[in-house]
Amino acid sequence: MAVNAVDQAVISQGLIAAAREMGVKLVRSAYSPVVREANDCSAALMDRYGNVVAQAELIPMQLGPIGATFRPCADLFPTDTLVEGDFYINNDPFQGGQHLQDVFLFSPIFFEGILVGFGATVAHHLDLGGGAAGLNPDASDVHQEGIIFPPSKYNMNHDWHGGPLERLIRANIRVPDQTIGDFNAQFAANGIGGRRVQDLCTRFGEGVVQEAMNELLDYSERRMRAAIREFPDGVYEGEDFLDDDGITDQPLRVRARVEIKGDSVIVDYEGTCDQVKSNVNCPYASTVAAGLSCVKSVLTSPDIPFNEGSKRPIEVRAPYGSLLNPRRPAPVRARMLSAYRAYNAVMKALAPSAPDKVIAAGFDSTEIIVLSQLKQDGYAIYLEILGGGYGASSHGDGCDAVDSPLSNCSNVPIEAMDMEYDYFRVEDYSLVPDSGGAGRHRGGLGFQRRYHILGDDVTFATYSDRFRLAPEGLFGGDDGVCASTQVLRGDQVIELPSKVSFPLQKGDILVARTGGGAGYGEPGERAAGDIERDLREGFMSRAGLQADAAE
Amino acid sequence: MRVGVEVGGTFTDLVAIEDGRVRVAKVPSVPARPDEGAMASLVAGAIDLATVDDLVHGSTVATNAILERKGAPVALLTTRGFRDVLFLQRHSRTQIYDLFYRKPVPVLARQDILEIDERMSAQGEVVQALDEAATAVQLAAFLGTGRYKSVAICLLNGYAEPRHERQLAALVSEKFPDLTVTCSADVTREFREYERTSTTTLAAYVQPVIDSYLRRFESQLGEQGFKGRFSIMQSNGGRLPVAGMSRNAITSLFSGPAAGVMGAVRQAGLSGHGDIITLDMGGTSTDVCLVADGKPNLSGETEVDGLPIRTPVLDIVTVGAGGGSICWQDDGGMLRVGPESAGADPGPACYGRGGARPAITDAHMVRGTIRAETFLGGKMNVDLSVASSVFNELSKNLDMSVEETADSAVRVADANIVGAIQIVSTERGRDPRDYVLVPFGGAGPLHAARVAEELGISTILVPPNAGVLSAYGLLASDFKQYETLTRRIPLAAGAAEQVRAVFADLQAQAVSSFQALGVPGELAISYSLDMRFIGQAFEIAVDIDGDALPNLDADDLLGLFNEAHNRVFAFGESGLNRAEIVSFRLGASAPPEVMPALNEGMDDTALRSESQIFDRGEWRKCLLLSRAAIAAEAAGIPGPALVEDGTSTIFVPHDWTATVDDQDNILLKWKD
Repeated sequence: MAVNAVDQAVISQGLIAAAREMGVKLVRSAYSPVVREANDCSAALMDRYGNVVAQAELIPMQLGPIGATFRPCADLFPTDTLVEGDFYINNDPFQGGQHLQDVFLFSPIFFEGILVGFGATVAHHLDLGGGAAGLNPDASDVHQEGIIFPPSKYNMNHDWHGGPLERLIRANIRVPDQTIGDFNAQFAANGIGGRRVQDLCTRFGEGVVQEAMNELLDYSERRMRAAIREFPDGVYEGEDFLDDDGITDQPLRVRARVEIKGDSVIVDYEGTCDQVKSNVNCPYASTVAAGLSCVKSVLTSPDIPFNEGSKRPIEVRAPYGSLLNPRRPAPVRARMLSAYRAYNAVMKALAPSAPDKVIAAGFDSTEIIVLSQLKQDGYAIYLEILGGGYGASSHGDGCDAVDSPLSNCSNVPIEAMDMEYDYFRVEDYSLVPDSGGAGRHRGGLGFQRRYHILGDDVTFATYSDRFRLAPEGLFGGDDGVCASTQVLRGDQVIELPSKVSFPLQKGDILVARTGGGAGYGEPGERAAGDIERDLREGFMSRAGLQADAAE
Repeated sequence: MRVGVEVGGTFTDLVAIEDGRVRVAKVPSVPARPDEGAMASLVAGAIDLATVDDLVHGSTVATNAILERKGAPVALLTTRGFRDVLFLQRHSRTQIYDLFYRKPVPVLARQDILEIDERMSAQGEVVQALDEAATAVQLAAFLGTGRYKSVAICLLNGYAEPRHERQLAALVSEKFPDLTVTCSADVTREFREYERTSTTTLAAYVQPVIDSYLRRFESQLGEQGFKGRFSIMQSNGGRLPVAGMSRNAITSLFSGPAAGVMGAVRQAGLSGHGDIITLDMGGTSTDVCLVADGKPNLSGETEVDGLPIRTPVLDIVTVGAGGGSICWQDDGGMLRVGPESAGADPGPACYGRGGARPAITDAHMVRGTIRAETFLGGKMNVDLSVASSVFNELSKNLDMSVEETADSAVRVADANIVGAIQIVSTERGRDPRDYVLVPFGGAGPLHAARVAEELGISTILVPPNAGVLSAYGLLASDFKQYETLTRRIPLAAGAAEQVRAVFADLQAQAVSSFQALGVPGELAISYSLDMRFIGQAFEIAVDIDGDALPNLDADDLLGLFNEAHNRVFAFGESGLNRAEIVSFRLGASAPPEVMPALNEGMDDTALRSESQIFDRGEWRKCLLLSRAAIAAEAAGIPGPALVEDGTSTIFVPHDWTATVDDQDNILLKWKD
């Protein structure tokens, strides 16, 4: 049965709108600042086979592999056994999950007793237990990072609402009210998605909606293939490095080989270093998301709806046991850092053949800041995700102070922090002048935060990167400036590494400075007006300009 | 005489009402000098200003000042450590896969921002006091350059305790009395520093522009003998006497769409319909708004050019579907309509001004639902053969006839409008089937019936003079002002007493403000609380019945909140945490002394003929009617029919019946 063109357009829009609404409602009914202010969550609608049909455009990293996270659930608990109220849960990094904090929930959608699809949501949970509040940078295996939900099936009426699963989770985490509230927000969003799909089935018939879902997948696939076909066939290679694994000083190599042939792409990470002992290992699903996001961003239009169909032309391979496809029970919490280098390696591979479609390397790291304090009535946890400067491109300067490409978190407003937390106060939140690499177009600026510690026994935990190896300039542009973290204690300046846990004292000032993006093209080609403006507005200083010229 | 003048992007509309007689005029706008278009409309309407008692004006002056960066040179004073708030923004992107992403550009430069040593806490306590002597020196150096006309003051946590903002304002005014000063506490008292700083800065940026525009306009009116009252339309759906614009002119953004909604509310109200969804379709876009019990939904935030503005505005959702919207096929083969528009120039291909791609107006010509003879009252030359030929390529690619392609394009445009209505209804927990659809604007009544079918809406009300409803809405709008305040109060014992106390303060403010503006009559007060479960970040607005307010207790408030939360999120059991009040909003309004009607003096010529239209895959015979011809049939006239009504065309499909009610509204009923 073919769906006519108009019904197809109407149903497609309905599905995309429903997924968007799921995302809005997930954020708006969530409890933890990391979801409700920072929006570290995603939502999607799937067909009955678990193919993502439409998504709320929130976090690229979480969206890429939702289908891969679903499949192990359906393999163990077949979809034809599902009843109303059932749901799948999965956060297992070695069975399609990413890091433990991203918990995926899938709720089946029934119409007149027939399974028509799934509402899917994922949220970054503030704390899921493990060896330290919010983040345990010293974990030597995944078990120290929190509770694992292997691919499983539960039922809302039986297991939630005070039932055994909810009780088990509540007992094993540090801020249960916020976390259970966030789970409820996920269930509510899944429910909204279900209702909208049911409405479409009522109007158009279940069969037509199913057909339209299939066609939407084919449609995205067609557009992706058309875009890939424009790109010259060939094999392209690129590599990038992480500073270190947080234990030794050894840089970690990530290498990509991108093969474009006709209308399909193979990204192979052969040549990437072996998995490491610390938490920067990147589960395969995250690696896939990184490779896909880069290929999609560089080769195709942002207008193509991202779904399972748009992934069909792209295959991502990573050697088992490597940094990008680790064996159990490797710790994986900081997987974003390696995922970014996987992203950078593909970008660098494509750059020479697509100089107008790529951007120079940016800060391209997730810098996570956790400040926790054990109070009399339980834990308080502040967690925020910081980006930095984007790389510049042939189109213009890199974007200043924005979340990095694989993520899209908002900041937590300072006034929300002032309301919520009494053991620290942010006293400075500003751009870092001169942090973008010079070039015909300059890299985006990083930014800094000064946290004044107001209480005792506050623990700082973090992971970040680009503290030692700067993002590389492109086509003659300068490198971006590295990130840094310092603690000012009286007259003392304590420089901290990028991946660390550190006890703070009352009166300490924690200064977190994120990195800038790299420049694009020769600095000598920069328009005089742009230099003048940077100087006038203080985005660059005279000293910074002279330092560039002296290089 | 009462006169409404609405300056839009393309046209300036005028509605004048005197002794029950309605006069309508439409003249081209003068975008660079909106008052010229306004004055021209007065000439075109042959208005003797000496006889005008009430003149209400809406314009795009504030919006354009921001879009074109033509506001006043503005300085921003903020807390030490936070001068980059406007550049940092919210750290996220609106396009996740766009590598070349650029943030919205603020209206001032980084060197226009001065940091002041001070800090308030979220509880409104002084963390670091403001040193007035040192600050005065700093201000003298910074503002003494003479570079600025306007100063915005937005300090961290200033919403909780504005004392430091007031101190700063006094210091500035003392030394620089000519500068316009805008404190965040007078513009929006809600937390989240980026949004509040953006709002305050934009308010300061447009204030001098509005001031001088209104002064110039007023003096021209005065020269021509005008002695009546001059009011300005606001985005909250109410007007204020011109003096009310001297404090917070940012409220005059988007007054046109708001005026249209108020016109629809008024006209539907005359026929007894309080629950309506408005559909205003013009050349480039469609605005929709949901109205419950005569009260349009409000939203706390809007944006211009990507820059957020926190102020109560009508919850109007705009979608890029208008008469000029381009019909095209994307590289995946999907038929799309808009958001690209042919605009007014070159306009749709049928205008013959060089438009080479098919637009929705062309599609209507091909289908026969717009006729060359009567388009815009027959005053505009349009060419069917051109309209038809621009569809050739698209129809070949889609493997459909030209008529089928045009028909499909109209249905895709309808679907875009349906999506917008779903945002204001289902997404907000409202069932569209409980509402009457009220279309207006040039193209609204042409699309309304098919849009209604998709939503299950069975009644449509088309006001008379639907093409100039916005200008009428100016005259029909109340005087209105909102007072807002963020104050967190957990819903525990004693909460209701605190609520009553806060509302009493806000009410006293509103009353004295209206008195100062000379607004006559009894004030109607509305109360609304933004509430959330403790721990959530986003609040839900809960309306509080003024009659019930004196006797409410905390449990009643919780009950009202739970009900509202369930409606929106469909998940009430998330009430594992207690709820709290976050912000207060009090609306004060006073109706105009005389509520004019739009229906007098209608053309009563009954015309009736036949034509052909292509609809839903086939050519159908169709009646051509004038409004009076429907009125002549008590039982109504079954579709398919086209009603050509001067400023707009109404499409009545088969399965629908048209009647005219005693308020001269045309009612369309769907046969279920």
